[in-house]
Amino acid sequence: MSTPGRIFIAVFGIIATAQFAHADSPSVTAVLNSSEATLGATVHLEIRVTGVRGADAPENIMVDGLEIRRTGTSQRIEMNNLSLTSSAIYDYTVMPLRAGRFTIPPQTIRIGNNSLRTPALTLNVADSPGRSSGARSGRDAGAASANNPVFAELIVPSKTAYVGEIVPVQIRMGFDPRVRPRLIEPPEITGQGFTAQRLQQGGENTETIGGRLYEVVTYKTAIAAARAGKFEIGPVKAKAQVIVPRRQSAPRSRPRSPFDLFDQDDPLSDPFFSNPFSQLGERREVEIKSEPVALEVKPLPENAPPSFSGAIGNFTMTTDAKPKTVQVGDPITVTTTISGRGNFDRVNAPAIEDERGWHKYPPSSKFNQDDEVGLSGTKTFETVLSPNEKKQGLPLLAFSYFDPVKEQYVTLHSEPIPINVQGGAAVAQNAGMVQSAAPTPSMGIARPPVQSSAKPQDILYQLTELPRKPESFAPIYTQRVFWAAQLIPLLALIGFAGWKIRRTRIDNREAQRIATLRHEATDLMHKLHRNDVSAREYYSEASRVVRLKAALASGNRSIDPNMVDVETAAETFKLDSDSRDRLRRLFEQSDEWQYSGAHNGPGRVSPETQREVLELIDNLK
Amino acid sequence: MNKAISKSDGKFELCFEGKSCSRLSVKGAPHACDSGSAPRFAQRSGYNLLLFSAILWSFVAASTFAQTDFDKANQEYAQGHFKEAISGYEALVRTGQWSANLFYDLGNAYFRVGDFGHAVLNYERALALERHHPEATANLQIARDEAHALELQQSGPERYVQFASVNQYSIAAAIAFWLAVFAIVMLIFARRRSATLKATLIFCLLVSGVAIYAVYTLERGSNGSGLAIVTGKNVQARLATADTANSVLALPSGSEVKILSTRGDWIYAALPNNLRGWIPAKDAQQVRL
Repeated sequence: MSTPGRIFIAVFGIIATAQFAHADSPSVTAVLNSSEATLGATVHLEIRVTGVRGADAPENIMVDGLEIRRTGTSQRIEMNNLSLTSSAIYDYTVMPLRAGRFTIPPQTIRIGNNSLRTPALTLNVADSPGRSSGARSGRDAGAASANNPVFAELIVPSKTAYVGEIVPVQIRMGFDPRVRPRLIEPPEITGQGFTAQRLQQGGENTETIGGRLYEVVTYKTAIAAARAGKFEIGPVKAKAQVIVPRRQSAPRSRPRSPFDLFDQDDPLSDPFFSNPFSQLGERREVEIKSEPVALEVKPLPENAPPSFSGAIGNFTMTTDAKPKTVQVGDPITVTTTISGRGNFDRVNAPAIEDERGWHKYPPSSKFNQDDEVGLSGTKTFETVLSPNEKKQGLPLLAFSYFDPVKEQYVTLHSEPIPINVQGGAAVAQNAGMVQSAAPTPSMGIARPPVQSSAKPQDILYQLTELPRKPESFAPIYTQRVFWAAQLIPLLALIGFAGWKIRRTRIDNREAQRIATLRHEATDLMHKLHRNDVSAREYYSEASRVVRLKAALASGNRSIDPNMVDVETAAETFKLDSDSRDRLRRLFEQSDEWQYSGAHNGPGRVSPETQREVLELIDNLK
Repeated sequence: MNKAISKSDGKFELCFEGKSCSRLSVKGAPHACDSGSAPRFAQRSGYNLLLFSAILWSFVAASTFAQTDFDKANQEYAQGHFKEAISGYEALVRTGQWSANLFYDLGNAYFRVGDFGHAVLNYERALALERHHPEATANLQIARDEAHALELQQSGPERYVQFASVNQYSIAAAIAFWLAVFAIVMLIFARRRSATLKATLIFCLLVSGVAIYAVYTLERGSNGSGLAIVTGKNVQARLATADTANSVLALPSGSEVKILSTRGDWIYAALPNNLRGWIPAKDAQQVRL
């Protein structure tokens, strides 16, 4: 494995461990898959302990009239945003022994030295089909055909519902394990007049139906009727591939089964199933279909309270507010928690009964579901309220829902929450002083007003002056004048660069000239040190060296060496009178040898004279 | 506004639609009836001078008429005829005579008729033209409070760079850029590359980069070019471009949104509370014209 891969796994492991280590405190929920049942039909109870890997849950729950036994335990680990949550799930089967309304009391779940209590649950048991029939309507029709290798059944716990009420639905798909089924199209509930939620696979188990063994897969969903009337839910349709024995060319030797699915011999009585390797089977596609279930949908009563938003079910509400001591205009976050069972998609934030003196901002909501289909859970609303005046308490919040069991509307009210609203923000009279004194709410929404609603603030006066030139919304960098103005520094830059280049070239020429002069002077000095030069050449070259040295010493004046005379050289080197005379004699000697035809004289310069000349030249600095 | 310039006897008339014509007498203008012996050069110079004068005068006249219309709308406002005042101000806006004071006064007129959405929009326009307009700032807050309008949350970088305007940052970026270029040229030609010159170059490049980043942040931010104000009533931001789509957020009039894209009659916008959704295009107007 590569190094980055190892690092990733290590980091992931550390995060996961940290998440487990910093898991939230354990919590427990208990959910019935249906709050209504009939005699003879079982109901599923699930106790989920979140935040732990194991807990001590009761094996049996004693309720008079109900037989509740634990049927399974499972564990679930979920990961959300790198946060791992472990849950222990305890499944119970509830068998009603008689009709009536039962309350399953809170159960104590022990987790180490701590203990948690489940909420109390209510179960209505009817002794005949009807409102609380709890009938598993398709069961007889579907599972009775026990000789089929596959079956589907649709279980709708109630035969009546209200418009918008969430009705939990179970789909059971049974397969004979010997046909080695492969589901190619998941089950789908057909029908009109209702909406269905996404199917969630509930679990798998093995059941014996009609003396035959089936692997039963359970799917859970919920439906909600869109209008009143009588509907048919289903049938549920699915497609699967199963293995059946190959058709044999030999004549039939066995009697035909009445449940022959493929219009041929009963595949289950084929010897293939008793010894699959005796002959090859073939995979064939079959459609699985359940019986439809009738559902009567009733309209909601007319007298809905004002705060009713369409919620149907059974709910409880708690409210809290923070902070409880604020200034006028400061935000207060009101947290409302609505828990229970019902159509949470229609559960809206509770209404404020008296909004006077308050400014309300749009609420945010978060839903934590307790079951697979979101029938049970907790919806939390956070609403920011801002007092416009002094207040002693939060306004009452009201939440209304329709209880389908009681068949009436229920309105829940929040408990009075005392708060302390102090003083008031300074009223900004001056335009320049208008600044909100209150901090912006954490949600990043509108700033709360700083003025009392009792006396609305008035706007400032009209302005009567117009500027001479119209203004533009376009940013300056999109305007031509801005880019035209860039020509000024651009031209300046070009000029500056040109000037610099010219200066450099000039400097280079001067340097070259100086180098040439130095080179010539050095060469001549070498010649002057030799003895094989004629007097004419010697004095000529000596005077030339003096001129070159004077030109080099002139610096910025850049004197042409050909233009240097005795006076110029003496000035340049600031010579005393003696040196000046010697230099003059040197120049005169040079001129004499050059122009007087004295080349006919002695051919060599004496060493004394040569030394004097060299001494004179060396002293020219 | 239609303008027409006519010439007669050395006097030029500049007429605006619906306005009385004004006469402009130009000294030295060659008369059409002058003898043809006048030099052609002098004649051409005269025409050029006339043209220049006419253009100059048209600017002055337009400004004067704008001020007149503005005064008239202000009078309507003072007399409590707010709808007439709105018509007057809007007419000026249509002619392109934009100024912070014009939008501020228009916002006031909308405020008086209870249209807080348009009031907020015009105060925002006034502030877009003139960042430090104290009256518009004050009235904008009042209008927002009245409308319970929602504001977009500024991002962290946007909060840090908003002490100067886009124009100021643009000019700073340009100056710093050119100084950096000059410093580079000097470094290239210098015999000895001094530390001061190098430090100046780095500083200028840094200033230029920061200024460009600030321009980008402000232009893309909540108060940037995409800023729009909800002017419709009971506007719902939706998940999709259909009136039946689920609502994301109820937007009171005057709320700020940032337009991200447009599709037909719908705009996809960033909403307050860090939400995004579709709103009908007719219910929101962009601040920058």
